[in-house]
Parts: sequence; C-alpha cells; structure tokens
Amino acid sequence: MIITKAKPFEEILPFVEGRKSIFIIGCNVCAAKMRTGGEPEVLELADRLEQAGHPIIGWALPTAACSVRSFDHLVAKNEKIKDADCILVMGCGSGTSVVSSVTNVPVTGTNETVSLGGCLGLHPSEHLCILCGECNIGDFSGICPNARCPKSQMNGPCGGSKNGKCEVSRENECVWYLIEQKMDSIHLIPTLSDIQMPKNHLI
Amino acid sequence: MATKIIPRTISKNVSHPGVNMGSKGTFKEKLKSSQFLVTGEVSPPKGIDFSPAIENMKSIQGFVDAINITDNQCATLHMSSMAFARLMIENGYSDPVMQMTCRDRNRIGLQADLLGAAALGIPNLLVMSGDHPKCGDHPTAKPVYDLDSVQLLRTINHLKKGYDFSGNNLTGAPDFCVGVVSNADPNERLQIMKLEKKLSFDVDFIQTQAIFDIEKFKEFLEKVETDVPIIAGIIPIRSVQMARYMDNNIPGISIPDEIHERIQAADDPVSEGMIISAELIMRLKPICRGIHMMPVGAHTYTEKILKKAHVLE
Ligand code: SF4
Ligand code: SF4
Repeated sequence: MIITKAKPFEEILPFVEGRKSIFIIGCNVCAAKMRTGGEPEVLELADRLEQAGHPIIGWALPTAACSVRSFDHLVAKNEKIKDADCILVMGCGSGTSVVSSVTNVPVTGTNETVSLGGCLGLHPSEHLCILCGECNIGDFSGICPNARCPKSQMNGPCGGSKNGKCEVSRENECVWYLIEQKMDSIHLIPTLSDIQMPKNHLI
Repeated sequence: MATKIIPRTISKNVSHPGVNMGSKGTFKEKLKSSQFLVTGEVSPPKGIDFSPAIENMKSIQGFVDAINITDNQCATLHMSSMAFARLMIENGYSDPVMQMTCRDRNRIGLQADLLGAAALGIPNLLVMSGDHPKCGDHPTAKPVYDLDSVQLLRTINHLKKGYDFSGNNLTGAPDFCVGVVSNADPNERLQIMKLEKKLSFDVDFIQTQAIFDIEKFKEFLEKVETDVPIIAGIIPIRSVQMARYMDNNIPGISIPDEIHERIQAADDPVSEGMIISAELIMRLKPICRGIHMMPVGAHTYTEKILKKAHVLE
C-alpha cells in the first residue's frame, strides 16, 4: 500500500486559482484506506474548495487512480470531466501521473506520497520497502534494512543504534534491533554475517 | 614542540612484542610495532579560515602518532576532510588520517575522492557510515549511503589492488593505511558482527568510541579477538551535565556511576575529568594498542592528560 498524507489545503489553492471548472479524482484503494482520497475526503475537499470560491464541476472515484484504463473510462464514471479545466487527483504520485497521461488539462495531486508501506489491522506502517528492484528481504527474514534503516545499512547496525532505538529518531526502533529479535527467535542470527553487496541502481 | 616520548608498554593486542620504534616512522609503521600509540583529532573549519584549526593541529603534532580529520562531523557542514588533510601536510604535518563517511557521496564520488586523496599524499583513512543528515545543520539534505562502511572498505581494497568498483583498471593504485570505527559494547552482538565483516578486508587499525568502562571494554576485546591494533577513544569529561548527556544520548558510550559521582563531587570538574582520563589511559595501556584523544573543542588539555597518564614526559 502506498502511504500518503494530505497536503495542507492552502497548498492546493495556488493550483486552482482562477480555474472555472475543477474536477476531482479520488482513489478507492490505498488513498481511501489512508483517508486521503476516498469518497468522504473527495466530498470534503470539493466542499471546502466551493466555499473558498473555486467552482467544482464534478468528481469521480476510480477503483485505483494508478490504474485507470483510459480517458473514456473516466468519462463513463462522470462525463463532466470533459469540461474540466484542471484536475485534482487525491491519490499518490503514481495515480496523479496516470491520470495526467490520459488527459490534456493541468493535473496535480493533493497528497504527499510518503512511502510504500502496509497496514496491519488499522495501523499503517511506513517505509517497509523502497522498491529497489533487487529484493533480498529474505536474508533478513522479511524485515528490510534497505527500506527501514534511514541509512540503508545492509551489513549491520550503524554506531548510532542505542538501546534498540534509531539514531535518526529515538522514537523509532532501529531496524537492526527488529532484525536481531526476529532472527534470534528463529535461530538464524549466524546467516546475518554474510556480507551484503552494494545495490544495483541500474535496475 | 619537542616533547619526549617515553617508551610505552606492550599490550595483548600486539603482534610483535618487544619492538619499539619510538617516535620515528609513519603511523602505518608504528601500527606494526609494539609502541603504545596516541592519536588526536582536529575538525576542519566551518568556513575557509583554516589557521585556528592548524593551530589546534600544531598544539598536538609534537606528541601524537597520527591526527584524524573529521568528515563533516555530526552531519554539520565543515571544510572537506580531504582539503584540510592536504592543508595539514602543507603546514608541516605528514600523518593525517582522513575520516570518510558514506553519507554524502555515492560510489563514484567516494572513489574519486579516494584517488584524489592518494594523489595529494594523504596516507591514512578512517572509514565510517557517518551521522544521518537529520542530526546536523542540513537536516533536509539527501542522505546518500550508496555504500555502507563494509562495502566502502571492500571498494578501498579494490582500489588498492589497482581497479575500481566496476573492475576497471586504474593508472597507479593508492596505498592507504585504513582504519575502521566501532563501538565497544560487548552486548551489541550485531555491531560486533559488523566489525568482524569490516575486518575481513585489509584493515590496519580499529578506533573505538570513547571508553569509560574498562571492564566492559575488556569483555569487548575478548569477544572481538583480533590482532588488528585497537585504539581506544578518550573524551575528557568537563562537567556533570556533559557526563550525563553522553551517557544517556551518545550511542556506544557508557559511563559507570563511580565516574559520575566523582565528577559531581569535584570542586573543579574539568581537572577531575582530566584525572579520570589519565587513569583510564593507564588502565588501557596494558590491554590495547593506543588511545585516540577526542576532546570536545580544542586540545587545550590533551598534553597535560597524557603527562598525568605517564604517556608523555
Ligand atoms: S530489498 Fe527491501 S527495498 Fe528492495 S525490493 Fe526488497 S523489500 Fe523493497
Ligand atoms: S540506528 Fe539502526 S535504523 Fe537507525 S540509522 Fe542506525 S542502523 Fe539504521
């Protein structure tokens, strides 16, 4: 799941300034789960913009903003999109990019795209994977130091790890502490002594 | 400044007992001797006026065996360690240890600087991950960490053999004396594992975080079991607050209650801190290969501490 955070309302205003027919596209998958682009959020943003004097001509909620099939597909959801002079996408950067690729009016996103995370129950977890294209998460039994260590330390903790907490933010656990606990519980600590080679960024 | 070096004792972590080269020779040669070594640390300036930093260097160059130059320590912008190392050489000091972090350069930038450093005559390196930008004065900077310290050591090994990260041949290979850093907490088994990974490359010395707890340090030495010379860090305590701050906040530093109590009870915490440092040095002398003096600020008291510890006359 893509972790997003809503931009402050004020940051969206310069984009819509002077526009006469604003169309909003939400995302009914990740953004809906993050409460940054589901139906309630789309309606709320439409309402706030209207009240601030920015005319909204319509909205649509595709299953996933990042996988809309075509412009016609969006028209089928709400044909008002044909009259739009700008589009706000309440999804992630990827969703905004896909919508932009099927339309020819200015498009922007209303969210910050933070990371690839997950959701356990109702609790979203951030930065679980940074999509490196060379996955070796199995070497760490499913806890990725490339993604979850702010320094991407692949060969063991940095010198900043203290009492299981991370140097960069003492509220967060050092990912190597989590790896140690998990690998210890399954008796796999010795496998951590293999030297990890640098990542291939060409992929 | 010609301070006489007293012959120093031999430690367990020494490969050729009985040899003592005195103050002669390069840092690399001295590492191979049995001499108890003293190193210091100088921070490059925050700006381009390097004379105060050179003065700081001059205050210790007569009695130390090598001087580290920090690489944007605490992720706080300073003049580059490579440039300042070269300035030290031009100002009469031939054995700088250029610290190199993985924070600010990708594998191309790191190698380019390594080749440059070698061509500029910089003989020694100390490799580390480096504090995260968030800890310093440019918190919004992109953290690079393209290589970690283990991978950087492997890359340095390649350069020393005459080829780069990608396997291309170099015209002339650098010949660095290479050091690594480590915390010395015997209970941090993954940090020890990482140190062991580092030692699988061609490493000439290990420099530790500041040591205050000798018993813990001994446990660490037992766990690491290496012939690579270990140089223990020394930070003179200057106040009750400083001791507390370091103990609570600096990873790898653990200060026993007894030391806190002594600093608290002292009329002059600075001089008590110096006595404590001297005592620690005397207790470290028989068990490791040297000490690395890293006072907060200038080396105002370093010489005095070394004399108290009978490392200098
Ligand atoms: S190694 Fe980590 S960052 Fe790379 S793909 Fe796997 S989980 Fe993602
Ligand atoms: S403390 Fe742990 S998680 Fe934080 S930067 Fe260091 S190794 Fe990474």
